[in-house]
Amino acid sequence: MKTYLNRLIGFVLLIGCGFSCSSDLDFDQANDLKLKPTYIGNFSYFNVPATAFVGDDGSQLDLAFDDQEFDVFRDEYLSDYLQRADFYFEINNTINRAFTLTIVLMTENDEALTTIQFVVPAYTGTPNTITRTEIFENARLDLLKSARKMGFLIAIAPGPALNKNSTGNLILRSNATAYLEIQ
Amino acid sequence: MRKVLLILGLFLAVNCFSQNKQILYNLTSVPQSLMTNPGADFKYKYYFGVPLLSGMSFKVGTTGFSAYDLFANDGVDFNQKLRNVVYSTTRRDHVAVNEQIEIFNGGIKLGDWLENKGYLSFGLYQEFDLWSYVPKDLAILALDGNQNYIGKTFNLSDLNVKAEMVSVLHVGYHKNVSEKFIVGGRAKVYFSSFNATSTNNSGSIITRPSNTTMYEQEINSDMRLNTSGISKYIADDYDGDVATDVRKQLLLGGDLGLGFDLGFTYYPKKNTQITASILDVGFIRHTKDVENFTYRGYYKYEGINPNFTDTDNPDGVYSDFKEAVKLDTLYNKYTTWRPVKLNASYQYSYGTPSDDDCVCITADKRYKNAVGAQLFVMSTPRMPITALTGFYQRNISNQFQVKATYTLDSYSYTNVGLGLSANLGKFNMYFMADNLLEYRDVSKANSLSFQFGFNFIFADSNEPPY
Repeated sequence: MKTYLNRLIGFVLLIGCGFSCSSDLDFDQANDLKLKPTYIGNFSYFNVPATAFVGDDGSQLDLAFDDQEFDVFRDEYLSDYLQRADFYFEINNTINRAFTLTIVLMTENDEALTTIQFVVPAYTGTPNTITRTEIFENARLDLLKSARKMGFLIAIAPGPALNKNSTGNLILRSNATAYLEIQ
Repeated sequence: MRKVLLILGLFLAVNCFSQNKQILYNLTSVPQSLMTNPGADFKYKYYFGVPLLSGMSFKVGTTGFSAYDLFANDGVDFNQKLRNVVYSTTRRDHVAVNEQIEIFNGGIKLGDWLENKGYLSFGLYQEFDLWSYVPKDLAILALDGNQNYIGKTFNLSDLNVKAEMVSVLHVGYHKNVSEKFIVGGRAKVYFSSFNATSTNNSGSIITRPSNTTMYEQEINSDMRLNTSGISKYIADDYDGDVATDVRKQLLLGGDLGLGFDLGFTYYPKKNTQITASILDVGFIRHTKDVENFTYRGYYKYEGINPNFTDTDNPDGVYSDFKEAVKLDTLYNKYTTWRPVKLNASYQYSYGTPSDDDCVCITADKRYKNAVGAQLFVMSTPRMPITALTGFYQRNISNQFQVKATYTLDSYSYTNVGLGLSANLGKFNMYFMADNLLEYRDVSKANSLSFQFGFNFIFADSNEPPY
């Protein structure tokens, strides 16, 4: 019986000792949690045919424009977390006319905050894709965050007249990469 | 606070984890073995547990990672460790915590010493359960975003979590229906003080290349979190002490549920024993202080696209999205099922006691040794979990039993456990712990459990009481 008692004591000691054997853990590290996800998504897209620049009566239209709501920064979390945004643009013109595309970020009251402008050469039979990445950081990022509207303006440069049978398209594809930091 | 929620969100992906009590099961010198098999071969005149100290069990289990992987004080950035854990686990890995404390527990033999009217047992225990699968896809989306995952479908059903606190009032009965066969059952009334269940989520988030817009981006969400008993704690204006307030509503408050346990012990031969039990077949109806949070809808995001020819949709994409995929709060009652547990065992006994150890009468002879195998199965929100145990049990004397176990389960292949039960006169104490090899460094353990308790047992005997 005594040996069993000894074994029992030995076992209890073993367990006790076992409990003391733990690597150093620091649960306060959870406070260092900082998420830095990068999200990518569509930014803007349009596909305008050459005939869009011809009026019903065959007249030449020199301008096309449209305003869009830009309300993503109404989400205060996104606004807080966003550290940098990259907008990548890809413009492909297959119309035999040159264009100037202007994208304007505006306040609620239509005051321009920042402008992105592209000069798009006329199509001459060879692929004609221009690409650019606009980076928004620091002060420019703050302008972006206060934007509530986005205006698109296409101005057509002088050149051969377009008619209802003109071919080709002006296509914009773009994406946004948002660098977030959540702490 | 937000960090705590994020971490919880990350790791609480389900409910109730392995409540396998492989050492306690069928160790019939301990009254609490009746809680794992109401038909256990446990005879007594009467017994009662030391209030609050008769039965305590704690179990923590994780698969795929350990506390050390996340919280080691090794100078490595916590965010890097978190990332390593998320990428090294799968959506099938889980975290589970279970804690049970007996408030009181007792039993009495019905009829006098000659009669076979069976045995009654009763008690109240409190239980906390947390089960969460690793919400892998959501964790990746939160940690790294979708930039490097074009074409990947992020699965929203990865979020699968359940947490609850219940008090259980129970009455059990077991009886020798023949020399060889003992059956028993236990009725349970559940009092759920709080519950949070989000186990039936579905949906996906995907970004893939497209021919027109840059990407085809879709979110399809059908997510739901049911809660009862917690609305005041999550309210914005709550400024009380959660621990104190939870304690107040712990016992016999909250939502009601009903359930039962069944079990038997059968001796095909004198030295061979077969047992089986099914536990917690029951439900809880959540009706008080119920809140359901749903996040449902479908949205295809194409960008902020100008339209130079037609009239525009005047709303922005953000309002469109919020309109399409809505976060709602509802107040619908709901039902949760208790995790059902199945136990079964086969035991072969050998070695009769020597005269030194026992001067008991022949019919009461205990075998000195027993070996056998046990099976444990428990329902979870996805696939049931299973554990297989081999054991050796030794009756060192009538007062002292030892049981050693080796268990194979999803947590580890090296789970060695040991349990001791000792009687000092009428006083019984037991101590059990598994995963003993992990005690070399508990922080690296995937699973640890221990149970202990103190009881007074007045043995049944074939002698007249006076």
